[in-house]
Amino acid sequence: MTTEELANLTPDKEIDARGVACPGPLLEAKRGITTVPVGGVMEVLSSDASTNNDLPRWAAKIGHEYLGTIEDAGFWRIFVKRAK
Amino acid sequence: MSKMLVFCGSDEPEKAFPPFMLGSGALALEMELVLFFTMSGLNIVRKGGADAIKLDGAAKTLPEFIETVKEGGATLLACSAAFPIVDCQEEDLIDGVECSGVATFVAEAEEADVVLTF
Repeated sequence: MTTEELANLTPDKEIDARGVACPGPLLEAKRGITTVPVGGVMEVLSSDASTNNDLPRWAAKIGHEYLGTIEDAGFWRIFVKRAK
Repeated sequence: MSKMLVFCGSDEPEKAFPPFMLGSGALALEMELVLFFTMSGLNIVRKGGADAIKLDGAAKTLPEFIETVKEGGATLLACSAAFPIVDCQEEDLIDGVECSGVATFVAEAEEADVVLTF
């Protein structure tokens, strides 16, 4: 998705994992996705740059859809769609 | 399902935390996780032991990480061969830890797709 499309999304769940070191954001995403309905979107806020690589790989492995990332001021907004 | 086995052989913070950091990640990626504690690594799963092992900046405390991997279904094995070496007994261990001999470790290692040592 384009940055504009991502910015216009209304996520079903927002997880603020800023300030937490790896693997905190990943573990919070793992827990958080279960609270989103199948087809719903989770947004993860992370100040840990590695989350940008970890969440797409995690999503691909588990079968969820990584929609994209928006870079913000000192953190990233990462969007994942629950697929199962 | 692929399996990760981690050899936890030390209670030094920089060696005691990575098995849980990487192991919780493995569970998040739906891998099976087995943690094998031996030598001073047994202090991680000794009652009260994890409270004394601290690493500033880590995402969680060691007791929190232990709870996370237990909730995730990890198998925690304590090496009975090291019990007399570090003066540890089965009743000294936290709940959810099984005693294991060397044959169990070797068999787990043979089956595992990934083996890490710390």
